[in-house]
Amino acid sequence: MLKPSLIPVLNRLASFWTKSKAYLFLFGLLFNLTGCGADTDKLPVLGQREAITKLVNGKPVTDSIDHTIPDFAFISQYGDTVTSKTLANKIYVADFFFTSCPTICPKMKVQLKRVYEKYKGNQGVMLLSHSIDPAHDSVAVLKEFADNLGIKGRQWLFVTGDRDKIYDIGQNSYMVTAQADATAPGGVVHSGAFILVDKARHVRGIYDGTTEQGVDKLMADIDRLLSESKS
Amino acid sequence: MIRLWSALAFLVVVSLLSCQSDEELQRQRYITEGILLYKNNCANCHQTNGEGLASLYPPLAGSDYLADKNSVICLIRYGQQGPIVVNGKRYNRPMPAQAKLSDLEIAELTTYLYNKWGRETTVTGVKAVTPVLNQCKNRL
Repeated sequence: MLKPSLIPVLNRLASFWTKSKAYLFLFGLLFNLTGCGADTDKLPVLGQREAITKLVNGKPVTDSIDHTIPDFAFISQYGDTVTSKTLANKIYVADFFFTSCPTICPKMKVQLKRVYEKYKGNQGVMLLSHSIDPAHDSVAVLKEFADNLGIKGRQWLFVTGDRDKIYDIGQNSYMVTAQADATAPGGVVHSGAFILVDKARHVRGIYDGTTEQGVDKLMADIDRLLSESKS
Repeated sequence: MIRLWSALAFLVVVSLLSCQSDEELQRQRYITEGILLYKNNCANCHQTNGEGLASLYPPLAGSDYLADKNSVICLIRYGQQGPIVVNGKRYNRPMPAQAKLSDLEIAELTTYLYNKWGRETTVTGVKAVTPVLNQCKNRL
């Protein structure tokens, strides 16, 4: 049992505690601020690390590496082949759409055009829009679409190719939904996501490409990634 | 005394409300519904401000195509295939049919479009829209 005389002491202690909470809060804030140094400023690398086995001194050694976009080969609106080499040493934004899409694609294209306008002429940034309706979206159809959207040059590539390969890279590498669905308007379901990929082909962010806020965040992160790769 | 005042206030409110004619009330109801229908069915391509998108989707704001109201009503329901010329510029992207919109909804949408961008201040009622829709159905 506590003696009654102890209670005022306890009260004083309690009041000290509530006051010092403010100090703790300030301390925590300071700690956080200093913690935001070189390390936490970097965007995370998304996706599961993958196991790879390689030979070291003739012995197989299993190691893990960051989730990486694999090699690919698709056809652009200019009819030439686009591979991972085309995007080598670039930061790029990938998305999935189709030209006759009546739902979210027009919104996404309005937003991606903002990104295009902002980084126009920047050699370090590219945009890669994959058609998920390659049967309809031929090279000529993609070229007309890009022209009509007001896109010139090779900074924003619209690609078509083998449907299953496009679905596969979408689902498994860029980690977004892309598949046929007869019940969906236009016959295909796909996410409205924009995927930010760095020079090392790692996914560094996934954004809602149908909203202005989502794409503002994307552009802020492109800036961060650009300064990250400079240093 | 208080009861008298509140009765008087009630009368004033009622008389103010009835100053709005039935027609004006109907117009506002149509437009309110029309805004929502536009947002859900049209704005993805034609944009919220009606300006369209580059050379992909034609504008509704300031569009000379609005002059032909009957064909606007028809293409909302039945869609549009092949090239179309708006303000002298050629557009060639299919517009999907909006088969799920009722006659009334098309009337509300048309009223909104023409009040917003067609310099109209009147209702395009469902009674006017249904015969137009029947006509273009026969034509197809």
